[in-house]
Amino acid sequence: MKLEIGRIYIKDIQLGKETSVIDGVLTVDKQGLIDNLKEDGRIKDILIDVARPGEKVRIIPVKDVIEPRVKIQGGNNGFPGVTSKQAQCGEGRTHVLYGAAVVTVGDIVGFQEGVVDMWGEGAKWTPFSKTYNLTVDIQVVAGLDPHTHEETVRIAGLRASEFIGLAGENVTPDEVLTFEIGSMFEETTKYPDLPKVIYAEMNITQGLLHDTYIYGVNQSGILPALLHANEEIDNAVISGNCVAACDKITTYQHQNNSVIYDLYAQHGKEINFLGVIMVPEHTTLAGKVRASDYTVKLAKMLGADGVVVSEEGYGNPDSDLLMICKKCERNGIKTVLITDECAGRDGLSQPLSDTAVEAVAVISGGNVSHVVTLLPADKVIGNAAAIAVLSGGWEGSLLEDGSMMCELNAVIGATSEIGFHNVTCRLY
Amino acid sequence: MNNLIITNNPAVAEIKDIVLFVDGSAEETLIKARDLVHEGYELISHPLAASLRMMFSPFRSVILGKKSDKVDIFSVEIIEESIIKFKRHMESRKIDTDNNDDYKMIDLILLEAAIHEQPVTW
Repeated sequence: MKLEIGRIYIKDIQLGKETSVIDGVLTVDKQGLIDNLKEDGRIKDILIDVARPGEKVRIIPVKDVIEPRVKIQGGNNGFPGVTSKQAQCGEGRTHVLYGAAVVTVGDIVGFQEGVVDMWGEGAKWTPFSKTYNLTVDIQVVAGLDPHTHEETVRIAGLRASEFIGLAGENVTPDEVLTFEIGSMFEETTKYPDLPKVIYAEMNITQGLLHDTYIYGVNQSGILPALLHANEEIDNAVISGNCVAACDKITTYQHQNNSVIYDLYAQHGKEINFLGVIMVPEHTTLAGKVRASDYTVKLAKMLGADGVVVSEEGYGNPDSDLLMICKKCERNGIKTVLITDECAGRDGLSQPLSDTAVEAVAVISGGNVSHVVTLLPADKVIGNAAAIAVLSGGWEGSLLEDGSMMCELNAVIGATSEIGFHNVTCRLY
Repeated sequence: MNNLIITNNPAVAEIKDIVLFVDGSAEETLIKARDLVHEGYELISHPLAASLRMMFSPFRSVILGKKSDKVDIFSVEIIEESIIKFKRHMESRKIDTDNNDDYKMIDLILLEAAIHEQPVTW
Protein backbone atom coordinates (compact mmCIF):
# COMPACT_ATOMS: atom_id res chain seq x y z
CA MET A 1 0.00 0.00 0.00
CA LYS A 2 1.40 3.40 -1.00
CA LEU A 3 0.29 6.80 0.26
CA GLU A 4 1.63 10.22 -0.56
CA ILE A 5 0.93 13.03 1.86
CA GLY A 6 1.50 16.46 0.34
CA ARG A 7 1.97 19.11 2.98
CA ILE A 8 0.90 22.63 2.07
CA TYR A 9 2.44 24.89 4.70
CA ILE A 10 -0.14 27.23 6.23
CA LYS A 11 1.20 30.48 7.71
CA ASP A 12 -2.08 32.21 8.55
CA ILE A 13 -5.85 31.86 8.47
CA GLN A 14 -8.17 34.68 7.40
CA LEU A 15 -11.94 34.75 7.21
CA GLY A 16 -13.34 35.92 3.88
CA LYS A 17 -15.80 35.21 1.11
CA GLU A 18 -14.12 32.26 -0.57
CA THR A 19 -12.04 29.34 0.57
CA SER A 20 -8.53 29.24 -0.83
CA VAL A 21 -4.84 28.89 -0.09
CA ILE A 22 -2.65 31.58 -1.60
CA ASP A 23 1.01 31.89 -0.62
CA GLY A 24 0.40 29.86 2.51
CA VAL A 25 -2.52 31.98 3.68
CA LEU A 26 -5.68 29.96 4.17
CA THR A 27 -8.79 32.02 3.61
CA VAL A 28 -12.05 30.50 4.76
CA ASP A 29 -15.45 31.43 3.36
CA LYS A 30 -17.04 31.96 6.74
CA GLN A 31 -20.67 32.21 5.65
CA GLY A 32 -20.26 29.35 3.18
CA LEU A 33 -18.94 27.14 5.95
CA ILE A 34 -21.74 28.11 8.32
CA ASP A 35 -24.38 27.44 5.63
CA ASN A 36 -22.77 24.11 4.82
CA LEU A 37 -22.73 22.95 8.44
CA LYS A 38 -26.26 24.20 9.10
CA GLU A 39 -27.58 21.84 6.46
CA ASP A 40 -27.65 19.51 9.47
CA GLY A 41 -30.99 20.43 11.00
CA ARG A 42 -29.76 19.50 14.46
CA ILE A 43 -27.47 22.52 14.47
CA LYS A 44 -28.92 25.81 15.68
CA ASP A 45 -25.89 28.05 15.47
CA ILE A 46 -22.30 27.96 14.35
CA LEU A 47 -19.72 30.50 15.50
CA ILE A 48 -16.51 30.65 13.51
CA ASP A 49 -13.34 32.33 14.75
CA VAL A 50 -9.59 32.14 14.33
CA ALA A 51 -6.93 31.65 17.01
CA ARG A 52 -3.31 32.19 16.03
CA PRO A 53 -0.11 31.20 17.85
CA GLY A 54 0.91 33.92 20.30
CA GLU A 55 -2.51 35.58 20.60
CA LYS A 56 -3.85 35.92 24.13
CA VAL A 57 -6.74 33.65 23.29
CA ARG A 58 -8.14 30.70 25.22
CA ILE A 59 -10.31 28.04 23.57
CA ILE A 60 -12.58 26.07 25.92
CA PRO A 61 -14.16 23.50 26.14
CA VAL A 62 -12.47 21.83 23.20
CA LYS A 63 -14.30 18.83 21.79
CA ASP A 64 -11.90 17.69 19.09
CA VAL A 65 -9.10 18.91 16.84
CA ILE A 66 -9.01 17.90 13.17
CA GLU A 67 -6.49 18.48 10.41
CA PRO A 68 -8.04 19.82 7.18
CA ARG A 69 -7.20 17.65 4.18
CA VAL A 70 -8.30 16.77 0.70
CA LYS A 71 -7.99 13.51 -1.19
CA ILE A 72 -6.37 14.05 -4.57
CA GLN A 73 -6.14 10.51 -5.81
CA GLY A 74 -7.48 7.15 -4.58
CA GLY A 75 -10.11 6.50 -1.94
CA ASN A 76 -12.76 9.07 -1.15
CA ASN A 77 -12.51 12.61 0.11
CA GLY A 78 -13.32 13.31 3.75
CA PHE A 79 -13.67 10.57 6.32
CA PRO A 80 -14.85 7.41 4.53
CA GLY A 81 -17.69 5.71 6.32
CA VAL A 82 -18.51 8.94 8.16
CA THR A 83 -18.68 12.02 5.96
CA SER A 84 -18.36 10.18 2.64
CA LYS A 85 -19.05 6.75 1.19
CA GLN A 86 -16.91 3.87 2.29
CA ALA A 87 -13.54 3.68 0.54
CA GLN A 88 -10.08 2.37 1.28
CA CYS A 89 -7.93 4.83 3.25
CA GLY A 90 -4.15 4.75 3.00
CA GLU A 91 -3.69 4.69 -0.77
CA GLY A 92 -3.14 7.37 -3.38
CA ARG A 93 -2.46 10.99 -2.56
CA THR A 94 -3.74 13.31 0.14
CA HIS A 95 -3.06 17.03 0.52
CA VAL A 96 -2.82 18.41 4.03
CA LEU A 97 -3.18 22.03 5.11
CA TYR A 98 -0.18 21.59 7.34
CA GLY A 99 -0.10 23.96 10.30
CA ALA A 100 -3.87 24.55 10.24
CA ALA A 101 -6.39 22.86 12.50
CA VAL A 102 -10.13 22.84 12.99
CA VAL A 103 -10.84 23.06 16.70
CA THR A 104 -14.40 22.21 17.67
CA VAL A 105 -16.00 23.69 20.74
CA GLY A 106 -19.20 22.29 22.11
CA ASP A 107 -20.54 22.04 25.61
CA ILE A 108 -22.05 18.58 25.81
CA VAL A 109 -21.85 18.15 29.57
CA GLY A 110 -21.17 20.72 32.26
CA PHE A 111 -17.95 19.16 33.48
CA GLN A 112 -16.19 19.22 30.14
CA GLU A 113 -12.81 20.92 30.35
CA GLY A 114 -10.25 20.73 27.55
CA VAL A 115 -8.38 23.99 27.23
CA VAL A 116 -6.07 25.31 24.51
CA ASP A 117 -4.17 28.51 25.34
CA MET A 118 -2.48 30.16 22.39
CA TRP A 119 0.09 32.10 24.46
CA GLY A 120 2.08 32.07 27.67
CA GLU A 121 2.38 29.22 30.12
CA GLY A 122 -0.65 27.35 28.81
CA ALA A 123 0.72 27.33 25.26
CA LYS A 124 3.81 25.43 26.37
CA TRP A 125 1.75 22.40 27.24
CA THR A 126 -0.54 21.88 24.28
CA PRO A 127 0.64 21.04 20.76
CA PHE A 128 -2.36 22.97 19.41
CA SER A 129 -0.97 26.33 20.48
CA LYS A 130 1.35 26.11 17.50
CA THR A 131 -1.31 25.49 14.88
CA TYR A 132 -3.42 28.15 13.19
CA ASN A 133 -6.80 27.21 14.55
CA LEU A 134 -10.14 27.71 12.92
CA THR A 135 -12.54 27.36 15.81
CA VAL A 136 -16.01 26.01 15.18
CA ASP A 137 -18.40 26.48 18.08
CA ILE A 138 -21.39 24.22 17.53
CA GLN A 139 -24.64 24.98 19.27
CA VAL A 140 -27.42 22.48 18.79
CA VAL A 141 -31.20 22.78 18.79
CA ALA A 142 -33.01 22.21 22.06
CA GLY A 143 -34.15 18.75 23.07
CA LEU A 144 -31.39 16.60 21.57
CA ASP A 145 -30.47 13.57 23.63
CA PRO A 146 -26.81 13.50 24.73
CA HIS A 147 -25.76 10.85 22.17
CA THR A 148 -27.25 12.83 19.30
CA HIS A 149 -25.72 16.03 20.64
CA GLU A 150 -22.25 14.42 20.73
CA GLU A 151 -22.67 12.96 17.25
CA THR A 152 -23.80 16.31 15.85
CA VAL A 153 -20.74 18.10 17.22
CA ARG A 154 -18.38 15.32 16.12
CA ILE A 155 -19.70 15.19 12.55
CA ALA A 156 -19.77 18.99 12.22
CA GLY A 157 -16.04 19.16 13.01
CA LEU A 158 -15.23 16.52 10.43
CA ARG A 159 -17.37 18.23 7.80
CA ALA A 160 -15.76 21.59 8.55
CA SER A 161 -12.30 20.12 8.02
CA GLU A 162 -13.46 18.55 4.76
CA PHE A 163 -14.95 21.86 3.58
CA ILE A 164 -11.73 23.76 4.33
CA GLY A 165 -9.45 20.99 3.10
CA LEU A 166 -10.82 21.39 -0.43
CA ALA A 167 -8.79 24.62 -0.64
CA GLY A 168 -5.69 22.45 -1.02
CA GLU A 169 -6.96 20.56 -4.05
CA ASN A 170 -5.09 22.47 -6.73
CA VAL A 171 -2.18 23.73 -4.68
CA THR A 172 1.32 22.36 -5.16
CA PRO A 173 2.50 21.01 -1.80
CA ASP A 174 5.65 22.35 -0.17
CA GLU A 175 6.69 18.86 0.85
CA VAL A 176 5.59 15.34 -0.11
CA LEU A 177 5.97 12.39 2.27
CA THR A 178 5.72 8.86 0.91
CA PHE A 179 4.49 5.95 3.01
CA GLU A 180 4.83 2.55 1.42
CA ILE A 181 4.83 -0.87 2.98
CA GLY A 182 4.02 -4.01 1.02
CA SER A 183 2.56 -7.26 2.26
CA MET A 184 4.12 -8.77 5.35
CA PHE A 185 5.62 -11.55 3.23
CA GLU A 186 7.25 -9.06 0.85
CA GLU A 187 8.66 -6.95 3.64
CA THR A 188 9.95 -9.95 5.56
CA THR A 189 11.67 -11.23 2.41
CA LYS A 190 13.27 -7.81 1.97
CA TYR A 191 14.36 -7.52 5.59
CA PRO A 192 14.79 -11.08 6.86
CA ASP A 193 17.10 -10.07 9.70
CA LEU A 194 15.14 -7.16 11.12
CA PRO A 195 12.90 -7.67 14.14
CA LYS A 196 9.21 -7.64 13.27
CA VAL A 197 7.40 -4.97 15.26
CA ILE A 198 3.69 -4.32 15.48
CA TYR A 199 1.95 -1.35 17.04
CA ALA A 200 -1.01 -2.02 19.35
CA GLU A 201 -2.96 1.19 19.75
CA MET A 202 -5.48 1.13 22.57
CA ASN A 203 -8.47 3.42 22.19
CA ILE A 204 -11.19 4.46 24.62
CA THR A 205 -14.40 2.67 23.64
CA GLN A 206 -16.76 2.78 26.60
CA GLY A 207 -19.82 4.79 25.72
CA LEU A 208 -20.86 8.41 25.42
CA LEU A 209 -17.90 10.84 25.38
CA HIS A 210 -15.64 7.77 25.55
CA ASP A 211 -15.68 6.33 22.02
CA THR A 212 -13.44 5.87 18.98
CA TYR A 213 -14.48 5.03 15.43
CA ILE A 214 -12.74 3.19 12.57
CA TYR A 215 -14.33 3.89 9.17
CA GLY A 216 -17.29 5.10 11.19
CA VAL A 217 -17.63 1.84 13.10
CA ASN A 218 -17.71 2.24 16.86
CA GLN A 219 -14.80 0.19 18.12
CA SER A 220 -16.63 -0.79 21.29
CA GLY A 221 -18.54 -3.52 19.49
CA ILE A 222 -15.69 -5.12 17.55
CA LEU A 223 -12.68 -7.32 18.18
CA PRO A 224 -9.19 -5.81 17.86
CA ALA A 225 -8.75 -4.91 14.21
CA LEU A 226 -5.63 -5.06 12.09
CA LEU A 227 -4.90 -1.95 10.02
CA HIS A 228 -2.21 -1.22 7.49
CA ALA A 229 0.12 1.45 8.85
CA ASN A 230 -1.23 3.91 6.24
CA GLU A 231 -4.91 3.81 7.11
CA GLU A 232 -5.02 5.74 10.37
CA ILE A 233 -2.77 8.52 9.05
CA ASP A 234 -5.18 8.84 6.12
CA ASN A 235 -8.47 9.58 7.95
CA ALA A 236 -9.64 6.05 8.85
CA VAL A 237 -9.84 6.76 12.59
CA ILE A 238 -11.77 9.49 14.39
CA SER A 239 -12.16 10.45 18.01
CA GLY A 240 -15.49 10.57 19.79
CA ASN A 241 -14.25 11.17 23.28
CA CYS A 242 -13.77 14.41 25.12
CA VAL A 243 -13.49 14.11 28.86
CA ALA A 244 -9.87 13.05 29.07
CA ALA A 245 -8.34 16.28 27.80
CA CYS A 246 -4.66 15.63 28.48
CA ASP A 247 -4.44 12.14 27.07
CA LYS A 248 -7.33 12.00 24.64
CA ILE A 249 -6.14 11.14 21.14
CA THR A 250 -7.79 13.84 19.06
CA THR A 251 -8.66 13.08 15.45
CA TYR A 252 -5.71 15.32 14.49
CA GLN A 253 -3.40 13.09 16.52
CA HIS A 254 -4.81 9.98 14.86
CA GLN A 255 -4.13 11.64 11.50
CA ASN A 256 -0.56 12.36 12.61
CA ASN A 257 0.06 9.47 15.00
CA SER A 258 3.66 9.91 16.17
CA VAL A 259 4.11 6.23 16.94
CA ILE A 260 3.22 5.30 13.37
CA TYR A 261 5.46 8.05 11.97
CA ASP A 262 8.38 6.98 14.15
CA LEU A 263 8.00 3.26 13.44
CA TYR A 264 7.72 4.07 9.73
CA ALA A 265 10.98 6.03 9.92
CA GLN A 266 12.73 2.93 11.27
CA HIS A 267 11.11 0.50 8.82
CA GLY A 268 13.77 -1.26 6.78
CA LYS A 269 16.52 0.18 9.00
CA GLU A 270 16.07 -1.02 12.55
CA ILE A 271 12.77 -2.85 12.33
CA ASN A 272 10.23 -4.43 10.04
CA PHE A 273 7.01 -2.52 10.83
CA LEU A 274 4.12 -4.95 10.45
CA GLY A 275 1.12 -2.69 10.97
CA VAL A 276 -1.31 -1.52 13.61
CA ILE A 277 -3.69 -3.45 15.84
CA MET A 278 -6.51 -1.19 16.99
CA VAL A 279 -7.42 -2.41 20.47
CA PRO A 280 -10.73 -1.43 22.07
CA GLU A 281 -10.64 -0.55 25.76
CA HIS A 282 -13.71 -2.18 27.25
CA THR A 283 -15.38 -1.50 30.58
CA THR A 284 -15.94 -5.09 31.59
CA LEU A 285 -13.17 -7.35 32.77
CA ALA A 286 -14.36 -10.00 30.32
CA GLY A 287 -13.97 -7.47 27.51
CA LYS A 288 -10.49 -6.58 28.68
CA VAL A 289 -9.44 -10.21 28.81
CA ARG A 290 -10.91 -10.86 25.37
CA ALA A 291 -9.29 -7.82 23.73
CA SER A 292 -5.87 -8.51 25.26
CA ASP A 293 -6.01 -12.22 24.36
CA TYR A 294 -7.01 -11.35 20.82
CA THR A 295 -4.28 -8.73 20.45
CA VAL A 296 -1.60 -11.16 21.57
CA LYS A 297 -3.00 -13.83 19.27
CA LEU A 298 -2.80 -11.47 16.29
CA ALA A 299 0.77 -10.50 17.21
CA LYS A 300 1.71 -14.19 17.42
CA MET A 301 0.01 -15.07 14.13
CA LEU A 302 1.96 -12.30 12.43
CA GLY A 303 5.21 -13.48 13.97
CA ALA A 304 5.87 -10.25 15.83
CA ASP A 305 9.07 -10.08 17.85
CA GLY A 306 8.03 -6.88 19.56
CA VAL A 307 4.91 -4.82 20.25
CA VAL A 308 4.71 -1.12 20.98
CA VAL A 309 1.56 -0.54 23.03
CA SER A 310 0.05 2.90 23.54
CA GLU A 311 -2.77 3.62 25.97
CA GLU A 312 -5.58 6.15 25.78
CA GLY A 313 -7.08 7.54 28.96
CA TYR A 314 -6.37 6.77 32.56
CA GLY A 315 -7.99 4.56 35.14
CA ASN A 316 -9.47 1.32 33.92
CA PRO A 317 -7.38 1.19 30.67
CA ASP A 318 -4.25 0.79 32.81
CA SER A 319 -5.45 -2.78 33.41
CA ASP A 320 -5.69 -3.49 29.66
CA LEU A 321 -2.20 -2.10 29.11
CA LEU A 322 -0.66 -4.46 31.63
CA MET A 323 -2.73 -7.44 30.47
CA ILE A 324 -1.36 -7.00 26.94
CA CYS A 325 2.15 -6.55 28.33
CA LYS A 326 2.08 -9.62 30.55
CA LYS A 327 0.57 -11.89 27.91
CA CYS A 328 2.97 -10.73 25.18
CA GLU A 329 6.06 -11.08 27.33
CA ARG A 330 4.98 -14.55 28.48
CA ASN A 331 4.68 -15.49 24.82
CA GLY A 332 8.19 -14.28 24.07
CA ILE A 333 7.12 -11.01 22.46
CA LYS A 334 8.92 -7.98 23.84
CA THR A 335 6.83 -4.95 24.73
CA VAL A 336 7.30 -1.22 25.01
CA LEU A 337 4.45 0.56 26.79
CA ILE A 338 3.50 4.20 26.39
CA THR A 339 1.28 5.68 29.09
CA ASP A 340 1.07 8.75 31.29
CA GLU A 341 1.27 8.96 35.03
CA CYS A 342 -0.20 10.49 38.13
CA ALA A 343 2.86 11.26 40.20
CA GLY A 344 1.32 13.92 42.43
CA ARG A 345 1.69 17.68 42.17
CA ASP A 346 5.38 17.53 43.05
CA GLY A 347 6.01 14.58 40.76
CA LEU A 348 7.38 12.53 43.66
CA SER A 349 4.62 9.97 44.25
CA GLN A 350 4.92 6.48 42.88
CA PRO A 351 3.58 7.09 39.39
CA LEU A 352 1.80 3.86 38.52
CA SER A 353 -0.31 1.87 40.91
CA ASP A 354 -0.76 -1.00 38.47
CA THR A 355 2.58 -2.64 37.93
CA ALA A 356 3.91 -5.91 36.57
CA VAL A 357 7.34 -7.47 36.57
CA GLU A 358 6.97 -7.94 32.82
CA ALA A 359 6.68 -4.17 32.24
CA VAL A 360 10.35 -3.40 31.84
CA ALA A 361 10.18 -0.79 29.06
CA VAL A 362 7.67 1.92 29.90
CA ILE A 363 7.57 5.43 28.46
CA SER A 364 5.72 8.19 30.26
CA GLY A 365 3.91 10.91 28.34
CA GLY A 366 3.93 13.16 31.39
CA ASN A 367 2.51 13.72 34.85
CA VAL A 368 -1.22 14.47 34.64
CA SER A 369 -1.19 16.09 38.10
CA HIS A 370 1.50 18.63 37.31
CA VAL A 371 0.15 22.08 38.13
CA VAL A 372 0.32 24.94 35.67
CA THR A 373 -0.76 28.56 36.09
CA LEU A 374 -2.86 29.93 33.28
CA LEU A 375 -2.93 33.72 32.94
CA PRO A 376 -6.15 35.61 32.19
CA ALA A 377 -6.96 35.67 28.46
CA ASP A 378 -7.88 38.76 26.44
CA LYS A 379 -10.43 36.69 24.59
CA VAL A 380 -12.17 33.42 25.29
CA ILE A 381 -13.54 31.36 22.41
CA GLY A 382 -16.26 28.96 23.51
CA ASN A 383 -17.86 29.01 26.89
CA ALA A 384 -16.13 31.24 29.45
CA ALA A 385 -18.16 29.54 32.18
CA ALA A 386 -16.28 26.32 31.45
CA ILE A 387 -13.18 27.94 32.89
CA ALA A 388 -14.72 27.52 36.32
CA VAL A 389 -14.68 23.78 35.69
CA LEU A 390 -10.89 23.90 35.41
CA SER A 391 -10.42 25.55 38.77
CA GLY A 392 -13.42 23.99 40.45
CA GLY A 393 -11.70 20.93 41.79
CA TRP A 394 -9.66 22.33 44.62
CA GLU A 395 -9.09 25.19 47.02
CA GLY A 396 -6.87 28.12 46.16
CA SER A 397 -6.73 27.45 42.47
CA LEU A 398 -8.16 30.82 41.44
CA LEU A 399 -5.64 33.56 42.17
CA GLU A 400 -6.31 37.26 42.89
CA ASP A 401 -4.96 38.55 39.57
CA GLY A 402 -7.43 36.35 37.72
CA SER A 403 -4.88 33.73 36.78
CA MET A 404 -5.72 30.18 37.57
CA MET A 405 -3.91 27.08 38.64
CA CYS A 406 -4.98 23.84 37.06
CA GLU A 407 -3.63 20.37 36.61
CA LEU A 408 -2.30 19.27 33.24
CA ASN A 409 -5.21 16.90 32.91
CA ALA A 410 -7.33 19.84 31.75
CA VAL A 411 -5.02 20.79 28.89
CA ILE A 412 -5.65 19.25 25.48
CA GLY A 413 -2.90 16.86 24.43
CA ALA A 414 -0.62 17.78 27.37
CA THR A 415 0.36 14.22 28.26
CA SER A 416 -0.33 12.44 24.97
CA GLU A 417 0.18 8.71 25.21
CA ILE A 418 1.08 8.47 21.53
CA GLY A 419 3.84 11.03 21.92
CA PHE A 420 2.21 13.80 19.90
CA HIS A 421 2.90 16.61 22.34
CA ASN A 422 5.43 18.95 23.84
CA VAL A 423 6.89 17.25 26.89
CA THR A 424 9.71 14.77 26.79
CA CYS A 425 11.27 12.41 29.29
CA ARG A 426 14.89 12.26 30.28
CA LEU A 427 16.85 9.51 31.94
CA TYR A 428 18.71 10.61 35.06
CA MET B 1 -27.93 -14.10 34.92
CA ASN B 2 -28.73 -11.22 37.19
CA ASN B 3 -25.85 -9.03 38.18
CA LEU B 4 -25.69 -6.85 41.23
CA ILE B 5 -25.05 -3.15 40.76
CA ILE B 6 -23.30 -1.32 43.58
CA THR B 7 -24.01 2.37 43.17
CA ASN B 8 -24.36 5.67 44.93
CA ASN B 9 -26.04 7.16 41.87
CA PRO B 10 -29.77 7.76 42.52
CA ALA B 11 -30.40 7.81 38.75
CA VAL B 12 -29.18 4.21 38.55
CA ALA B 13 -31.02 3.07 41.67
CA GLU B 14 -34.24 4.49 40.26
CA ILE B 15 -34.36 2.38 37.13
CA LYS B 16 -32.33 -0.76 37.80
CA ASP B 17 -33.73 -3.81 39.56
CA ILE B 18 -30.92 -5.49 41.43
CA VAL B 19 -29.12 -2.65 43.12
CA LEU B 20 -27.26 -2.22 46.35
CA PHE B 21 -27.54 1.51 46.97
CA VAL B 22 -24.72 3.11 48.91
CA ASP B 23 -25.84 6.26 50.64
CA GLY B 24 -22.39 7.77 50.55
CA SER B 25 -19.45 8.85 48.42
CA ALA B 26 -17.87 7.34 45.32
CA GLU B 27 -15.04 6.09 47.53
CA GLU B 28 -17.49 4.40 49.91
CA THR B 29 -19.09 2.77 46.89
CA LEU B 30 -15.75 1.34 45.80
CA ILE B 31 -15.08 0.13 49.34
CA LYS B 32 -18.49 -1.57 49.48
CA ALA B 33 -17.70 -3.28 46.18
CA ARG B 34 -14.34 -4.36 47.59
CA ASP B 35 -15.96 -5.87 50.68
CA LEU B 36 -18.31 -7.88 48.50
CA VAL B 37 -15.46 -9.03 46.27
CA HIS B 38 -13.75 -10.33 49.39
CA GLU B 39 -16.95 -12.20 50.20
CA GLY B 40 -16.73 -14.03 46.89
CA TYR B 41 -18.46 -11.78 44.37
CA GLU B 42 -16.82 -11.51 40.98
CA LEU B 43 -16.21 -8.11 39.36
CA ILE B 44 -17.98 -7.72 36.04
CA SER B 45 -17.12 -4.09 35.28
CA HIS B 46 -13.89 -2.34 36.11
CA PRO B 47 -14.41 -0.11 39.18
CA LEU B 48 -12.79 2.95 37.59
CA ALA B 49 -13.78 4.92 34.51
CA ALA B 50 -11.47 5.42 31.53
CA SER B 51 -10.95 9.14 31.83
CA LEU B 52 -9.50 11.42 34.43
CA ARG B 53 -12.46 13.72 34.59
CA MET B 54 -14.75 10.89 35.59
CA MET B 55 -12.44 10.24 38.54
CA PHE B 56 -13.81 13.50 39.99
CA SER B 57 -17.39 12.31 39.58
CA PRO B 58 -19.36 12.13 42.83
CA PHE B 59 -21.19 9.08 41.45
CA ARG B 60 -19.89 5.63 40.70
CA SER B 61 -21.52 2.35 39.76
CA VAL B 62 -19.82 -1.03 39.71
CA ILE B 63 -21.29 -4.30 38.41
CA LEU B 64 -20.69 -7.51 40.35
CA GLY B 65 -21.43 -11.00 39.11
CA LYS B 66 -22.28 -14.15 40.94
CA LYS B 67 -21.02 -15.01 44.38
CA SER B 68 -18.97 -18.11 44.81
CA ASP B 69 -17.42 -19.84 47.82
CA LYS B 70 -13.98 -18.92 46.62
CA VAL B 71 -12.63 -15.39 46.41
CA ASP B 72 -11.80 -14.39 42.84
CA ILE B 73 -8.16 -13.25 43.06
CA PHE B 74 -8.28 -11.38 39.74
CA SER B 75 -11.23 -9.30 40.98
CA VAL B 76 -9.46 -8.65 44.30
CA GLU B 77 -6.36 -7.32 42.55
CA ILE B 78 -8.39 -5.05 40.31
CA ILE B 79 -10.58 -3.55 43.05
CA GLU B 80 -7.67 -3.03 45.46
CA GLU B 81 -5.53 -1.32 42.82
CA SER B 82 -8.50 0.79 41.80
CA ILE B 83 -9.04 2.06 45.33
CA ILE B 84 -5.35 2.95 45.70
CA LYS B 85 -5.46 4.83 42.42
CA PHE B 86 -8.71 6.59 43.27
CA LYS B 87 -7.41 7.74 46.66
CA ARG B 88 -4.18 8.99 45.19
CA HIS B 89 -6.06 11.06 42.67
CA MET B 90 -8.45 12.54 45.13
CA GLU B 91 -5.74 13.45 47.68
CA SER B 92 -5.57 16.98 46.40
CA ARG B 93 -8.86 17.23 44.53
CA LYS B 94 -12.33 17.81 45.75
CA ILE B 95 -15.19 15.90 44.25
CA ASP B 96 -16.81 18.07 41.57
CA THR B 97 -20.30 18.64 42.94
CA ASP B 98 -21.24 21.52 40.61
CA ASN B 99 -22.21 19.17 37.81
CA ASN B 100 -24.07 16.48 39.70
CA ASP B 101 -26.83 15.99 37.18
CA ASP B 102 -24.43 15.53 34.28
CA TYR B 103 -22.26 13.13 36.26
CA LYS B 104 -25.35 11.10 37.21
CA MET B 105 -26.35 10.93 33.58
CA ILE B 106 -22.89 9.93 32.26
CA ASP B 107 -22.40 7.35 35.02
CA LEU B 108 -25.74 5.80 34.06
CA ILE B 109 -24.95 5.86 30.32
CA LEU B 110 -21.52 4.28 30.83
CA LEU B 111 -23.09 1.66 33.08
CA GLU B 112 -25.65 0.82 30.38
CA ALA B 113 -22.81 0.52 27.86
CA ALA B 114 -21.00 -1.90 30.16
CA ILE B 115 -24.16 -3.97 30.63
CA HIS B 116 -24.61 -4.21 26.87
CA GLU B 117 -20.95 -4.86 26.12
CA GLN B 118 -21.39 -8.59 26.49
CA PRO B 119 -24.30 -10.20 28.27
CA VAL B 120 -22.96 -12.59 30.87
CA THR B 121 -24.72 -15.90 30.37
CA TRP B 122 -22.24 -18.33 31.82
